[in-house]
Amino acid sequence: MSGGLVARLKAALPERADFGEVLTQPWATFSAREMAERQVYLDREGRVRLGDLFDITGEPEGRIRLVGDLQNADRLGAGLSEGEVTVEGSVGQEAGMALAGGSLDIQGNAGPRVGAAPLGYKRGMTGGELIVRGSAGPEAGAAMRRGLLVIAKSAGERTGLGMIAGTVVVFGTAGRETGLWSKRGSIVALGRITPPATYSYACTYQPIVLRLMLARLSVTYGLSVQRKHFTGSYRRYSGDMAELGKGEILEWVAK
Amino acid sequence: MKIRGVFIEDTFAEAFTMRVSRVIVTGRNARWVREAALKLTGFATSVIGCKVEAGIERELPATETPDGRPGISILLMTMGKDDLGKRLIERIGQTVLTCPTTACFDGLPDVPDRVGVGSALRFFGDGFQSSKMIAGQRFWRIPVMEGEFLVQEKFGMLKGVGGGNFLILATTADAALAAAEAAADSMAAQPGVILPFPGGVVRSGSKVGSRRSKTMIASTNDAFCPTLRAVTQTALPEGVNSVLEIVINGTDAPAIATAMKSGIDAACRDGVVAISAGNYGGKLGPHHFHLRKIMEGGEA
Repeated sequence: MSGGLVARLKAALPERADFGEVLTQPWATFSAREMAERQVYLDREGRVRLGDLFDITGEPEGRIRLVGDLQNADRLGAGLSEGEVTVEGSVGQEAGMALAGGSLDIQGNAGPRVGAAPLGYKRGMTGGELIVRGSAGPEAGAAMRRGLLVIAKSAGERTGLGMIAGTVVVFGTAGRETGLWSKRGSIVALGRITPPATYSYACTYQPIVLRLMLARLSVTYGLSVQRKHFTGSYRRYSGDMAELGKGEILEWVAK
Repeated sequence: MKIRGVFIEDTFAEAFTMRVSRVIVTGRNARWVREAALKLTGFATSVIGCKVEAGIERELPATETPDGRPGISILLMTMGKDDLGKRLIERIGQTVLTCPTTACFDGLPDVPDRVGVGSALRFFGDGFQSSKMIAGQRFWRIPVMEGEFLVQEKFGMLKGVGGGNFLILATTADAALAAAEAAADSMAAQPGVILPFPGGVVRSGSKVGSRRSKTMIASTNDAFCPTLRAVTQTALPEGVNSVLEIVINGTDAPAIATAMKSGIDAACRDGVVAISAGNYGGKLGPHHFHLRKIMEGGEA
C-alpha cells in the first residue's frame, strides 16, 4: 500500500501560482503520470504542467500529499469534491475555495479566504472538511453553504463572512467581525471572540452536538481537543440579526 | 438429556422474523439515562398488545457512546417495516425528547436500510431547529426549555428474530421464580438480545387463538397451567406446580441461541423438573431453536 500520491515541490515557486484546476474532479483515480499533466498557472510565465513543478510518485488511492513551501500557491484544492488532500506546509490565498466534498488538511497556515466563495459568487464551501492546522487569513469560509472548516490557531477578521450555513471551528483567537452577516452558520469559538454587535446573547449551555463534532476532530484529524472543551459550557449568541438571524456563535467559557 | 438432574425436553422454540432498531440513549449521568431507557422500553412486552417489543440490551460506558456520556443500548422490534418507524418516532418523541439531559443516536450505523426519526421529530422545533452533518450523518438540534435535544436523523433497521423462548417447569412457584431470575441474570447484557417481559420473565404464556372467543388472537396456554391439569390436555409432567417462560428477542438467531444456552444452563437448578419450549408445530415461525441441539453446542 503506497498511501496515495506524493507530490514534492522541486524548487520554491518563483512567483504566485494558481492551483485552482489541480484537484478538480476527477483526480482520485489518477496515476502519478496523469496527475503530472494537470495545469498550474504561474503569474508571469503562464501555464505549466504540475509535473514541471513537482516530483509526483505513488499510486492513486484517493489521496495526495503535497510537500514543499506552497505559500505562493493560490486556490489549492479549489472545487475539491473527492478524496483526501494533505498539504505539508502553508498555502496562499483561497485554498479550498468552494470546496464541495472530500477533505483538505493544511498543516501550516492558510492565506486569505480559505474555503470561501470565489469573488462575486454567492456560495462558498458546499460540503467536505477543510482543516487548517495553523492560522487563517481574513474571510475564511466566506459564504459557506455546508461543510466544516476548522482553524486550529487564530482566524483572521470576518471569518465566516456571510455564511449561509455550515460550521467554522476556531481553536485560537477569532478575528474582528467573525460571523458577520451569517444567515444560519455556526461559529464555534474555543478561544477568544468578540461577537459582532448584530449578534444577541441567548444563554450559556452545553451543546451536545459539539461533543460529537470535537470528538471527530480529535479522532479523525488528531487535533488536540482539550477535555474542558468537551465538558465546558458555551455562550450562545444568535445572529446575524441584520440577516436571517438563525446563525450562532458558540463561545467556550470556563465553568 | 439431563442437566444437573433437570430434564431437557426434545422440543424447540419457534420464533418469527421481526424488524429491529438499536437506539442509543445517552445522558448526563446514569440516573437520567436509565429514566429515559425505562420509559422508552415501557409497555413494550409483546406486539400483540403493545405494537412493539423493546428492552434494554446493555449499559454503555461513556467510552462507547457517540457523545462520550453514559448510555444505554435499547432494541425496539416490530413485525413490519413501516411500524418500526412509527414506533420509534412516537416513543423517542414522548420519552427521550422529554427526559432531561438526554440525546438519542442510531446504534446500527452500518445498516443500509434506514428509517427517518430525527427527520420527523425535528418539527417539534417549530422552525427553530437546526441540523449538523457530522461524519456523513445528520443530527437534529431541537431547542427545548432545558437547552437542546440532539437526535440522529435516521436509524438503521434490520431483520431480527422475536419469540425465542424456553419454559421452566418447577415443583414450586418459588423454585420456578428463582430459576427464572437466574436465567434472566445470566442473559442480561448479552449483546444482540433483549428480554422484553418484566424482569425477562413471563408467567402468562399464551397459545394462538381462543377456545371461546373468535376475536382473541392469543389466550392462556392451558396445557402448561398447573391449575388446569385435571381439566385440560396438560403438557405438565408429574410434580410440576409452577411454570415460567423466558422470551428472548434478538438481532439474529445465533445471538438468541447463545442467550438461550446461557439461560437454560442457569435455570437448571434445584426444584426445576424440566425445561421445555413454546412452538406452534413449526408451521408459523421460520426460526426453530431446538433445546437439545443448543445445549449440546450445535446448531439451533
